[in-house]
Amino acid sequence: MEIFWIFTGITILGLVGYGLQIFAVRSYISHPSLNSGEGDSLPRSFPPISILKPLKGLDDNLFDNLESFCMLDYPEYEIIFSLQDFNDPAYKVARKIKDKYPDRDIAIVVEHCEDGLNPKVNNLIPAYRVAKHQHILISDSNVMVDKYYLREISMPMNEQGVGLVSNLIKGVGGRSIGSILENLHMNSFVMGSVCFLDKFLKMPCVIGKSMLMKKRDIEAIGGLKAYKDVLAEDYMIGKMMQESGKKVVLSSYVINNVNHYWGIIKFINRHTRWGKLRWKIGGIKYLSELIGNTVFMSVLPIMLWEPSKITVSFALLVALLKASGDFYIGRRAASDLNPFFYFLSPLKDIVIGLIWFVPLVSNTVLWRGHRFIIEKDSVLFPCPENGFWSWRYRIANAIREHLA
Amino acid sequence: MLLCDFHIHTKYSDGSVELRRTIDLFGQAGFDVITITDHVVNGDSSIGKIAHRFGLSVKADNFDGYISNIRHEAQRAWDKYGMLVIPGVEITKNYVSSDKSAHILIIDIKEFIPACWSYEKIFLEAKQQDALIIACHPHHMSDMSRSTLYLWNNRDKYARYIDAWEVANRDDVFNVISLKKYPYIANSDFHRTRHLYSWKTLLNCEKNTGSVKQCIRHNKGVAITLFRS
Repeated sequence: MEIFWIFTGITILGLVGYGLQIFAVRSYISHPSLNSGEGDSLPRSFPPISILKPLKGLDDNLFDNLESFCMLDYPEYEIIFSLQDFNDPAYKVARKIKDKYPDRDIAIVVEHCEDGLNPKVNNLIPAYRVAKHQHILISDSNVMVDKYYLREISMPMNEQGVGLVSNLIKGVGGRSIGSILENLHMNSFVMGSVCFLDKFLKMPCVIGKSMLMKKRDIEAIGGLKAYKDVLAEDYMIGKMMQESGKKVVLSSYVINNVNHYWGIIKFINRHTRWGKLRWKIGGIKYLSELIGNTVFMSVLPIMLWEPSKITVSFALLVALLKASGDFYIGRRAASDLNPFFYFLSPLKDIVIGLIWFVPLVSNTVLWRGHRFIIEKDSVLFPCPENGFWSWRYRIANAIREHLA
Repeated sequence: MLLCDFHIHTKYSDGSVELRRTIDLFGQAGFDVITITDHVVNGDSSIGKIAHRFGLSVKADNFDGYISNIRHEAQRAWDKYGMLVIPGVEITKNYVSSDKSAHILIIDIKEFIPACWSYEKIFLEAKQQDALIIACHPHHMSDMSRSTLYLWNNRDKYARYIDAWEVANRDDVFNVISLKKYPYIANSDFHRTRHLYSWKTLLNCEKNTGSVKQCIRHNKGVAITLFRS
């Protein structure tokens, strides 16, 4: 029973933290200019922007995602689609978009770049080289925006000393169980954590789906090449930007991360990878994620010891509170998730709780078809083909193939 | 080269994705030409009767609605994605024995063709409508329960009616088609979203129904590709 009370205490602590996250989200998303273009009334300049779109493979909704960047209400911008080879299926989609919008300033850069181990940075380097404008916006291919996006993200750039602007992200379009879990997680843990860290700890938590910077500031922190061997290039760029004395701003403008047809394996793989990089970056702070996972902490006594009336009732109460909190954040962020899906939220938290332990025993990541060893600050090393690591890789691969 | 898939099912038969979403899925992936080919199942066998009972077949009474819906979506796909969508069906003659079973794609169909007709009658009616006739998964498949061998076993009799044979279907490749030097295409036999990643056809022709049909019939400028993300 004493153990139950210990877990109860940790869970209550987690609930308090979650309450603060909700408060932080509320304070960001109550901004009057949220996705409305109302910020336009402020006197300001609109610097020309180069949008870098690294493409690899077919993301869900790729055509619409790319097309949304052709319909932006902004005076001057260029779009650079960047790919590693012509045989990438995304090339055909990029071509179609370019043909559909001949009056837009769109370039397609196809160049095989192997400067580093991070495939996204490899993809960005050629695009960055040909970018015409001083303001560089890095935007992932699974992001869809509305026409005010550039106006909103460029707004904080008018302030003195701002080096980087990133956005809040919400998951939309879930049509499979994996996508629904992903969107639930994006719209609760990810959104809550980013707002919490930014508001209360003044710690920039940049997510690379949308990052606006100036070329000279990027060069001042070593250029993109400095992050070519880092898995969390987005986080590290934000961290270095702040350490260089520049402000890192989280725009309250929420962008859409479209996830239609994810399988559960993809959901698990992504959060295992993200968990590993947070473990390698945060170290002992990674423990706070487990404490903050209130559902998992309340269920743990039931899983480890015999369930009793009080432990089960407490877990159910926590699950209800957490699902309600997630629902509230979802509504605040205008999420398109069906309200009934929030009943899956506790299940998702239990899965995430189990995934939390994986980084403690594994430091290899599989990303875009490549396996790497991940070290401190998410620095990547090639996974050797011989020796101990290769055996771990082979065993993991055998299990994956068996499951498939 | 045009990226094409001529064998796609929707919720009109046993596909798991609605017509509109299917069109969007292929459009978002950059396809140039697709054909919607829901099953028209024979009602003269026990398997066929079950398919009819569970609504897994396009029937004479909903055929016009099916075609009109495809044409409506085809216009949307053309305007939005620049993707050509051609209406079709998969004539499905299912029997307990795979030796007796056959599936036939009728591409650019205009009028309903019942699956219980004889093969000759089906082929002649399809020719009458200037539709393409494709023999689907004509040989042994990795999933044995899906094998349909009748047309292959009777190829001497029916090959003259058939415009092309599926040399690859989803994950299976039928080397016998190339050995016999028959005209070929490759398709996904799409039923679920994951089937998007499968064998496809590449055509070197203009993006209109007439050119696509001509290209397949002449079987020049045709290639196959394994489409992967």
